[in-house]
Amino acid sequence: MKKRIINLIKIALFAAVVLACIVVAATVVRRKESNDKYADFFTQAEKGNIDVLFMGSSHMINGVNPASLYKDYGITSYNMGGHGSVMQATYWELIEALDYCSPKWVVVDAYMLEKNYQYLDVMNENTPQEDIDTSIDQLHLNMDCWPLNRLKLAAISDLIQDKEIRKEFLFDFIVYHDRWNELTKEDYQVLSGQNASNKLLGGELRYEVELKPSTSPDPAEGEQLSEHTVGQEYLMKIIDECQRRGIGVLVTYLPFCPTTEDKIAANSAGVVAGMYDVPYINMLGLGIIDVYTDLNDTGHLNALGAKKVTDYLGNWLVATGDLEDHRGQAGYEYYDECAARYAEDMRNFSGSVNNLYSQLELLNFGDVGSVVYFNQGSGSFADASVKELVAQITGTDKIKILSDGPYIMINDAGSGNVYEASGEEALSGVATAMGTMVYQPVEQRFRFLYAQENEEVNYLYDDDHIWYDIQVITYDKNSGEVLSHKYYRSYGSKYRED
Amino acid sequence: MQVTSFAFLVFLFAVAALNYCLPRKFRYILLLIASLGFYASLDVKGCIVLAISILTTYAAGLLMDGSAGTDGQAGEDKNGGFKSNNLVFALCIVLNVGMLVVFKYLGFFAGSVFAVMGKEAPTISILAPIGISFYTLKALSYLIDVKRGTIKAERNLAKYVLYVSFFTQIISGPIDRADNLISQFNYPVTVDIEMLKDGFLQILWGYFMKLVLADRMAIFVADIYGNPVPGTITFIGTLLYTLEIYCDFAGYSHIVIGAARILGIDVMNNFEAPYLSGSIAEFWRRWHISLSSWLKDYIYIPLGGNRKGVARKYLNILIVFAVSGLWHGANWTFVVWGLLHGLYQVVGYLMKPVRDFWVKLFAVDRESFAHKVVKTVITFLLVNLAWVFFRADTIGAAFDVIGKSLSFTPWVLTNGELFRHGLDQANMLLLLIGVVIVFIVDLMNVRGIILREKILRQPLWLRWLIMIVAILVVAVCGIWGPGYDASSFIYQQF
Repeated sequence: MKKRIINLIKIALFAAVVLACIVVAATVVRRKESNDKYADFFTQAEKGNIDVLFMGSSHMINGVNPASLYKDYGITSYNMGGHGSVMQATYWELIEALDYCSPKWVVVDAYMLEKNYQYLDVMNENTPQEDIDTSIDQLHLNMDCWPLNRLKLAAISDLIQDKEIRKEFLFDFIVYHDRWNELTKEDYQVLSGQNASNKLLGGELRYEVELKPSTSPDPAEGEQLSEHTVGQEYLMKIIDECQRRGIGVLVTYLPFCPTTEDKIAANSAGVVAGMYDVPYINMLGLGIIDVYTDLNDTGHLNALGAKKVTDYLGNWLVATGDLEDHRGQAGYEYYDECAARYAEDMRNFSGSVNNLYSQLELLNFGDVGSVVYFNQGSGSFADASVKELVAQITGTDKIKILSDGPYIMINDAGSGNVYEASGEEALSGVATAMGTMVYQPVEQRFRFLYAQENEEVNYLYDDDHIWYDIQVITYDKNSGEVLSHKYYRSYGSKYRED
Repeated sequence: MQVTSFAFLVFLFAVAALNYCLPRKFRYILLLIASLGFYASLDVKGCIVLAISILTTYAAGLLMDGSAGTDGQAGEDKNGGFKSNNLVFALCIVLNVGMLVVFKYLGFFAGSVFAVMGKEAPTISILAPIGISFYTLKALSYLIDVKRGTIKAERNLAKYVLYVSFFTQIISGPIDRADNLISQFNYPVTVDIEMLKDGFLQILWGYFMKLVLADRMAIFVADIYGNPVPGTITFIGTLLYTLEIYCDFAGYSHIVIGAARILGIDVMNNFEAPYLSGSIAEFWRRWHISLSSWLKDYIYIPLGGNRKGVARKYLNILIVFAVSGLWHGANWTFVVWGLLHGLYQVVGYLMKPVRDFWVKLFAVDRESFAHKVVKTVITFLLVNLAWVFFRADTIGAAFDVIGKSLSFTPWVLTNGELFRHGLDQANMLLLLIGVVIVFIVDLMNVRGIILREKILRQPLWLRWLIMIVAILVVAVCGIWGPGYDASSFIYQQF
């Protein structure tokens, strides 16, 4: 009997060790995106630092930048948006989040309000399997970070019908064990508690520029969805939950290139918000963004668009939200750090990005001083997007009316002064951080741009780049140090550095 | 509930725990309940066919055994007893084989007949009960053994039902014999910790072969057989299928044999390093041993074996292998595969004088290492060739694969082509390491060294380390999870 008991203890001990090893293995092979995105949420929520939660889909992830919001307005927030999140997924994301924090405001985007299915693994009758797989995959990004508990069980049961797929969310080792052949140093570092973090407090920036934004007919004024959808039901639940907890709710419909159905859904979101007497901002028709410069693709904002939307919401929250400016306050050092890192990243990226559109987009932020030069005969004069991006920096229409160059723009971000010249026009005595600049066009492939303090350096001429028709120089807006000098050649609306 | 599912493991360990606690005389009842529950979880409708097979063979066994008993005491009834015995025996055989034919081969035979007549065959779609090929052979072997008088008919219906439906064997064997299993139900051994450890290690080894190796190879093989291209890459595909089917079926066999051992039941071995065989005849003594021995005992020997002359012996070999092929599946590809193996052996016998001549001429030492290696490689390549017919959907497709695999393009090994068929470099490396491990373990087995026994003799910390590493390798590197078909054991379809 004694031997039998000892054997049973050994078996139990062995099972415990095996279980522990499996847990460690599961931690290593787990896809880290979800943990990375929400790592800072857990630490900031624990400190009670989060005043605003942004909820929604990828529109929200790409549309609102909490680091920028803090940097410019001092508002502490976290972007909880999930790629592909329909309203029910957003609802459960919020419920999970509220288990950790008590924000003063919840901003919820109502994109996909028209979706009228309950289960993400079923969707509609004719939904292709590929779409369902993508949806399930995206839900992992939202759900993997949450610990296995009754709340998660309830969430998964509500979102997924297939019991086998539910298991994949509850025990994600089922899905991720075959990542063994793609593990990186970061995957192992998690064992020593080193989590990579999202750096933008849940937000993500995109840097492409959509060159062909789509348009769709407007619906009849005030037209609403023809049926009460699952999306509407869950928007109501979100508002209900927030009101029950005394949290302010702002419903939004962030801008992009909407279809007619999206516009109808936006109208319906307003009706739902109205039913609960909560504020609603339908940004589709407010002219906050320029669809020719501020979209990454037809569905998502780029960094410039995100800046505009973040600024709009920042102003609204400052005016309406009764929120404290936490900048520089004790306990909010991490937010200060994120804001500084964001500014530094944007500054660096403004010079290093290898795409003319993206670079012009980033120069709009004014984190660095810049010189943009288009030579005579450059293809960019036929490119409305490029001209619009430059015009947004200058704040004038000068480049927009040009059909040929040369054209120069000097944006001295430190002083806030912008200078332009085109054709035979010259510039002189232009005070910038680089010095007092002089610009003089001479002939098609030769021109001067130098600082009076050092006439030896002609910034706009280089024998090696004589055939390049576009030059972009970035410089530190305080010291004037040149950070980058890029040359582009135009091929229609394609711009190449080689 | 498939043997590669988590549910099976939970089920197995739950049954093992109960089995460990129960008094020995009641254990067969527990195993019976578990077996019937297991089968019902797989195929509820199939239970009816299983019940018919069990009840008819059980009743026939009792009838024959009863008559034999009377015969022994009353000589005047002897002829009458034999006749009734034969009638019962024949009817029972016809019924059980008939069920197997109807469920498994009706469509195939009808299709073949109609094809010969040049007509379109009617669509016949009957879903064969799971495991019918395996449990029918078990039931028939019992019946024949009773008829031969080598065993007594089992009077305890529960034990007989358990014999036929034992859950570790009912899906894909091993096709064990009644005298081995029923005696263990009657006199169960005490399950000690050593048996548990040994069984657990064997299960782990089975999962490694199945989930880490066979299912990984299956990805490559499916890609190659789905779209064969001329070149060495197709030859590699055929080699990997040869290894896949071994790892798949041997892996399964290890799992169920280990599972049975955990329950205190010693099941017959099914594989003994078959690819290290030096001849086709030896290969069949090492491959799917439970089936090979069944075919030998119940078909080859009753046909006369090698006792009725050389020509008859060759014919018997061809018949046995044709039956073996047909047993594996209702398709001419399986028949060709079986006949090819029969032919290998017949040709081998016919060529023996020639081989002996050359061996003598060149003074080849038959016991030399080099000679053994050459024999093993040739045997392996012959087996590999036959497996192409086994894997291909049609005979034409098999010839296509063989033709394309003969095209010599060795640069696929170095130009990255090898990694464009579903397995990247890491997976290929893992596969290579796994195959080397299997080879080493098989080599040790051939030399009488059982690795499990070696491991079990190590200190506790080392045993645990080995087992935990093995568990992690299977759990992390095994092919399972979303998209994995847990019922994908190749032999389960037979």
